[in-house]
Formats: sequence, structure tokens, C-alpha cells
Amino acid sequence: MHQLFWVYDLPTETFAIMMIALFVGFYWAGLVFLRPILRQFVKNTRGANDIVGYVLSCFCVFYGLLLGLIAVTAYQNASDTSTNVTREAAALSALYEDVSRYPEPYGQNLRWILRDYTRYTIKYAWPLQQRGIVPVDGTIRVQAFQEKLLDFQPTTPAQEILHAEALRQFNAFLEYRRMRLFSVHTAIPPVMWYVVILGAVINIAMVWLFDMRFITHLLLGGLLAAYLGTMIFLIAAMDHPFRGEVSVTPEPFEALYKHMVEE
Amino acid sequence: MERQQGRRLTQSISRRDFGRHASAAATLAAAQAFAPFMFVGCRPTRMPSDRQTIKVGLLHSQTGTMAISETSLRDVELFAFEQINASGGLLGRQIEVWSPDPKSRTELYPKRARELLDWGAAALFGCWTSSSRKAVLPVVEEHDRLLFYPVQYEGNESSSHVVYGGMVPNQQIMPVIDWLASPAGGARKKIFLLGSDYVFPRTANFVAKKYMAAKGMRPTGEMYLPLGHRDFGPMIDLIQASGADCVLSTVNGDSNIGLFQSLEAARIDPDKLPVVSTSIAEDELRNLLPEQVNGHLAASCYFQSLPTAANRVWVEEFRHEFGHDRVTGDPMEPQWGLVHLWRQAVERAGSLDTEAVRAAMSEDLEFAGPGGLVRLDPKTQHCTRYFRLGRMRTDRQFDIVFQSDAPIEPDPYPQLAFPGWSCDWTKGGITRGPEVSIDGDI
Repeated sequence: MHQLFWVYDLPTETFAIMMIALFVGFYWAGLVFLRPILRQFVKNTRGANDIVGYVLSCFCVFYGLLLGLIAVTAYQNASDTSTNVTREAAALSALYEDVSRYPEPYGQNLRWILRDYTRYTIKYAWPLQQRGIVPVDGTIRVQAFQEKLLDFQPTTPAQEILHAEALRQFNAFLEYRRMRLFSVHTAIPPVMWYVVILGAVINIAMVWLFDMRFITHLLLGGLLAAYLGTMIFLIAAMDHPFRGEVSVTPEPFEALYKHMVEE
Repeated sequence: MERQQGRRLTQSISRRDFGRHASAAATLAAAQAFAPFMFVGCRPTRMPSDRQTIKVGLLHSQTGTMAISETSLRDVELFAFEQINASGGLLGRQIEVWSPDPKSRTELYPKRARELLDWGAAALFGCWTSSSRKAVLPVVEEHDRLLFYPVQYEGNESSSHVVYGGMVPNQQIMPVIDWLASPAGGARKKIFLLGSDYVFPRTANFVAKKYMAAKGMRPTGEMYLPLGHRDFGPMIDLIQASGADCVLSTVNGDSNIGLFQSLEAARIDPDKLPVVSTSIAEDELRNLLPEQVNGHLAASCYFQSLPTAANRVWVEEFRHEFGHDRVTGDPMEPQWGLVHLWRQAVERAGSLDTEAVRAAMSEDLEFAGPGGLVRLDPKTQHCTRYFRLGRMRTDRQFDIVFQSDAPIEPDPYPQLAFPGWSCDWTKGGITRGPEVSIDGDI
């Protein structure tokens, strides 16, 4: 499957057109070259179109369910990842506000590191995630922050409360960050893709068996194949939450960084 | 009957038109299948592959005692490379950087350098302490790559694989002594030498003592403490007891915090006993309270408060990118210059090959940086530098109290300290003199 990741580097519309063209092309090519062979199996069978129609309907129920479930899974993955990214940015924002209340120079040092982490996430981590690489340099910034945070010794009850809250927020931030990093490799398992592709091929092969005028075949079968291609494009586009144009963006971090540098 | 008609229709289409339909369908199918691949070329959005980028390694501690100083160096390098990328890259390729963390541990620097070079880094930018630079030196020589080192250092070194961007003693330590001994500096001749315990402070103070001796002066005392040491109280007592009227400090990293806190705790008046620091800049001052640093001095080649248009633009751009409370300082400015000198050399060489880049550097390379014009001396692979002396203010910036008339030529081997030694990489490299024992002198 890794060899196919280049499709995520294509513009979405090109990817969609390519998938539709692939399915329609496959259908039309099979219509010309394979249909005469496949038709032999139903040749001279009374009511062949009806039989093929019943089987196709039955098959489409199962295949449609499978496609629907996989599409929901892909959407759910993308949605969960997006939620985690938003939560990480929110935790980071809260942490930034907490450490802003620290006495100087602790407050400034801690703010600088968080700002640096946010900038790194936008400018360096995100492009890596889009390439399916788990960014590692963010960990250095987190360690630097932790080192400075633990350096601070509260001297008043108010500082103790603030420090405890900052530590709690820091742990929440770490949790969401870890979930984002895990999401870099989140994807529909290859075995499910194999079943989807096999189902699409069977679906198209069944349509070849219909006895219709050639031009009707081209049109109706082409439309069916085009929609199959669209469905599979949709799932593929939503799969791998950080890849491609239809992906989770660093927008929450960008908004936060804008606030951090402009304050 | 219907069935017969249908069969006849099918048969008549197959016979007459099958070939025509088949050709049309095949052509359509081929066109549909291949058209997207043609469209792909219209909007190239693919991520650059490893072969399309130039890799550069940044070697700075981001945790530990040196993080206070080195993190900003990493940021200014990232900023420089981002600007180069935004302007089209280098040799038509984008620059990819990686900045692992040596954690302020000298033994980790060569390990990280090796990782960066194995990753494919065309050049390394980094290090702060001389011990880290010396630890990395064999690695860059083994891999035949260049290290761009931005920090002021002790001299007594020249490698064909290192480009030195910071000041050497004849550009910093010796002018400081001259200024202190001058009427403008209060004619101070009782200087106490205080430093962190590693290569730079010991060698720099060795040069300082030789220079002072040549001027008929003697230090009132000399002391070294481990990097990261914070409690300077007992040392302040010793300094006061020595009768010193000035401290020349080569203390590094966050030990500076301890030094200035102890000075304030001992109520040292900067007018009576000023500390002249060689390794403190705006970045380190932000960790100190204004009353702790006000009035003390720093010797440098650049201060953020430098009143030039080029500097104001640079500072504003940096702060716009990293936040309006960020500061610039030495050696951020030298590192900025080094990145651009490297870019010029690579463009001139048209290649990343170390030999070609070094050959390009052997012709005059200049860069008008925020701190003024910098020229790379091809003989020593060091840079010309202005000498500037700044007095610390309550806003943790500097008032520039002295500036050399022109950039000072670098001399990594001052003859009064290292007689017979010199280097000229345009004519074969280092000329060795008699061995000099620095430890023996201490």
C-alpha cells in the first residue's frame, strides 16, 4: 500500500478524476475485451438479465454496507484526529496562560518554549506528518519545557496552586500530543482495502454480464463505475488523517501562534 | 418472435459495428485512464523528496545548562534557512534542517554530529562551548564536511573544516583590557580573571595574562568554576579581598545567573567593581532581574540596541516571526552572517562539495549583516569583527559605550601568547611554533 501514497500528493480534484477515470476505464476496457468471454457463461440462459440483476442487487447490499461502514470509519478517524489536535492546541493555550502568571524570568522562559513548540508544530511537524513521518524534534521542546517547569519552586500558596494547575494542564497536553503522534499512522488496514477492491471488481464484472446495447452498456455501466470510483476516492481521501488535501490542518495551532506572537 | 428479433439485432450490431465500437471504446478507455496522469503535471504539489532538498544540521543544546544560550542560535538559523527557502532555496533546492539535542553534554556533541552527517547534512552549524567544538572537530574532518561556529572563542586553533564566525582574543579580550586601562575605562589595572572551567576561559585568560604582562599589568587573581555552578558568594569575597577594581568574566551559560545574583547579594557597586563579561548577551540577561545586571559591562561584536537601519529591520523581522518579547544578540548575529556566507560560497561554487565550497571561500566573501560588514578571511577562515562594549541597562539591553573604528582582522594565534604559530589556508595551512603549555602557566 505504501507505494500508492503518492496519490495524496495530488490535488483533490485530480485524485478524484483519476479514480473515476480508472474505474470507468476499467469498466469500458473490460466491456470490450472481457465481456465477450464472460457472456459465454450466461449465453442462452433464459432470463439471464433478471438473474444477474437479482445477484447484483444482493451483492450490492453487502458491498454497499461494507463501503458505508468503511467510509464512516475513515471519517471517524479523521474526525477523532481533528478533535485531538484541537484539544492539544487548547491544552497548550491554557498552559501558556498558566505559565504567563509565573514570576519572571520563569514565566517568560516557559512562554518562549511553548511558543517555539507551537511554531515548530506548524512549520516543521505538520509537513512531516503529511509525509507519514512522526516528528521527533517536538519531544526536545517538550523536554526543555518540562525541565524549566520543574525548575520553578513555588514560594507562596497562590504559586503552589498555579504550579499544580500548570502541571495538570501539562499532563493533559502531553496526552493529546501523544494521540496526535499516534494518529500519523492511523489508517484503514490493507486487508480491508483488498476486500473493497475485490468487491468493486466483482461488481463491475457482474454488470458486464447484462445483455444490453453496447452504447447503453457504455453509459449505464460507466455511470455505475464512476460512482464506485467516487466512493472509493472518498474513503481513500479521508483515510490517513494527515495526508492529502482532505486532511487535518494545523489551523488551531496557527490561531494560537498568532495570538502568542501578537500579545 | 421477440427473442428472434433481439438475437438478430444483436447479431447485426456485432457484425457491422463491433470493430468500430470496440475501437471507440478502447480509445475512450485509454484517454480516460491516462488523462489524469497528464493533468498531474499541471499542478506539481508533491512533497520534495530527500534528493530534492539540501540537508543542513544544527547542533545546539536545547536542554541543560547551555540551553539558555544555544536555543536562540537554533532559532536564528531556522529563520535564516526559512528565508532562503522562501526566496527560492539554494541551487534551486529547498533546505531541510534537523536539530537534534546534545543536552549540554560535551560527549553527546560528536555523537549528534555523526548522526547529522550520516543523515546527509551538507554542513553543520552549531556548538557553543569550545569543548563541544573540539569534540565535533574530528567528526567533521573524518566526514570532510564544514562546521560553522558562531561563538567568540579563545583562538589557538584553526581547522580547514571549521569556519569561525565569532571573535578571537585579539578582537575581544585584548581590546577590553585596552579599554579598561584607558581613561575612558577608569584606568583600571587590577583585573580579576573569573571563568567557567573549560577550554575557552582558561585559554582566553592565558592570552589576557600575556597581554596584560606586555602592558606591565598583573591579574589580582584567577579562578575557575564548573559549568552550571551557581553559588558565587565565596568567590565574590575573594575578589573583594584581592583588591581588584574590575572582573573580567569568562563565565558561561546559566552560571551567569548565579554570578550576577551573588554580585547583587554582596551589594557590589558596578561603578567601583564592574564585571566585564565576554559570554553574556541579551538572551542571558532575560534570566536576570534588572537590578542584578544594571551597570555591568559586556564585550561583544553586536548588541540589539545597535542604532543602524539594517539592525532595526533585522530585529523587527526576527521579533515578528518569534514574538515581540524575543531579543537578538551575539552570537546570533554572527551565526546569521555565517549562514549567508555559506549560502554565498555554495552559490559561487555551484556545488555542495566541501572542497568546492572551501575554494569559493578562498576568494573574498563579504556579508553586510545587522552588525555591520563582515568579511571572511580566507587565510584563517575567521571573520573580521567590530569590537563593541556595552553597559547593561535596567531593560536588560545595552548602552554601547565603545566601538572600534573599523572591523578588526582576526588573529587566532596572537604572537605574544603563541609565538611562531600562524595559519594561512591559502598557502598550506598551519605553521607550528613551539608547544605552548596553557595549564603550566596557570
